[in-house]
Amino acid sequence: MKEAVLDSAPSFPIPIADADTQPFWDACGRSELLIQRCGSCNQWLWQPRPICSRCQTPDPVWTRVSGDGLVASWTVIRPPTLPAYSGKVPFVVLLVQLDEGVRLLGYLVDDQGRLLQTDGEAEGIAMGARVSLRFHDQAGTILPSWTLAR
Amino acid sequence: MTRPARGSRQRQAAVVGIHALPFSKNMGMTERNAGARAILAALRDAGLTVADVDGMFRYVWEGTTEMEMARILGVRNLRAFGEVDYGGGAGCPTLSLASLAIESGLADVVVCWRARNRSSGGRPWVSQYHATGQDQFERPYHVVRPVDGMAFHARYWIHKYGWKPELTGSVAIAIREHARRNPMAMMQRPLSMDDYLSARMIADPLRLYDCCLETDAALAMVLTTAERARDLPKIPAYVQGYGMGSGPDMTAMTFFYGDEFGSTPNRWVSPELWRNTGLTPRDIDVVQFYDAFTFQIPIAFQEYGFCGDGEAADYLASGEAPPYNTSGGGLSEAYTHGFNLLVEAVRQVRGSSTSQVPNVRHSLVTSGNVVPTGAMVFSKEPW
Repeated sequence: MKEAVLDSAPSFPIPIADADTQPFWDACGRSELLIQRCGSCNQWLWQPRPICSRCQTPDPVWTRVSGDGLVASWTVIRPPTLPAYSGKVPFVVLLVQLDEGVRLLGYLVDDQGRLLQTDGEAEGIAMGARVSLRFHDQAGTILPSWTLAR
Repeated sequence: MTRPARGSRQRQAAVVGIHALPFSKNMGMTERNAGARAILAALRDAGLTVADVDGMFRYVWEGTTEMEMARILGVRNLRAFGEVDYGGGAGCPTLSLASLAIESGLADVVVCWRARNRSSGGRPWVSQYHATGQDQFERPYHVVRPVDGMAFHARYWIHKYGWKPELTGSVAIAIREHARRNPMAMMQRPLSMDDYLSARMIADPLRLYDCCLETDAALAMVLTTAERARDLPKIPAYVQGYGMGSGPDMTAMTFFYGDEFGSTPNRWVSPELWRNTGLTPRDIDVVQFYDAFTFQIPIAFQEYGFCGDGEAADYLASGEAPPYNTSGGGLSEAYTHGFNLLVEAVRQVRGSSTSQVPNVRHSLVTSGNVVPTGAMVFSKEPW
């Protein structure tokens, strides 16, 4: 048992979906970004929830979005980190404001969705910079991520 | 003093006993053991015994429940008890519930404590690999440490307000200077601006000295009625008032998804605090602002109305701000999810701080922003 633990690669935190969030993760597996929108008042909602927090209408509608947006903030992850990330630092985590108005977290990745080992300076990351959606495969977990728009 | 009627003068809550065990990297005893010893010492400080205790409130992320602590100490019956969530936000709300229990007559002698081996016990997030709830959209990107969440706010405040690194550096240095006058503080070395600026980044834009300590600690506090406090040995710190707030669309540490990005829940606590105390920032002689990170200090001066939005840098440079975090706070005394700030706020009323402010009438303490939180004012005089 102990050997098995030592042999296995260090793991990443994995999302544990429930019925309220499963459609989001299922869509990521298809390289689609779904955000909830209220069927009554049209409010965009993030993070996922069973009720519109603006008008209390149940069952907001999962709606595909382009993922286009801008950098609302970011950080650079540096040690001490979880072991699985130790060979990947430094890397950038973005707070992206979608054109629909909601903000999500995501990695700064290259055009193919690969995590960039960078502090973001070489890429010219800046507040308000336009970004385009990509999907990053993190040991089988498909995570929305963004690349700086050309 | 103009204050909304809340309870009888006889039943106003007052802190009558405080204690902190020595802070360390490894206390060498369980949280249960350390917490019990801190409570017994706080009761001795108050001139009370276990037989007097009939209420207990605590906050999350330590192993010992009120039930277990009462059992160990031999408390006969808890007439009021409870636990408050949200880590660093829980300190003032915990004392607020204790005060409410006393004011309402639910209990007469209430103990609050914090015992946590946060240094020797390791970092909690290293074992949290299954991300549920809000975490499922954050932890897979390594937004796992409190500093990771804070970094997005800090970057935004720098952008919005034009804060320079020297602003947060001056906060770290001011708090360190207070720590160096406090023999209990873990950090006794001087801190220069060069030290601050040249320290390594932890989560940009936060550098090493923007971040609090990791500490094994046990502290406790005893509250009772104003009527009873008059007969006890120590100068009472009367609970003038308090406020709580969650803000809208709240997610712990990552309060940046909704319309209020750039604010912290302090903005919602602030009007409640001033309404409930009948005071204004000008009445406050000394403050203990929650300082897991330096950036929380200037934003707190703004959100509690000591200066206007965007004025923190000029305000702190002007020297008009009241002394803050006078024991060394979470950054340089000990990190205890803010319980040392509560204890220091009481010391300032008693006149026993190692960085004592003269003639303190009103002493403000706040709990962690960017989680549901609260604030409280202790006063030298009762209602």
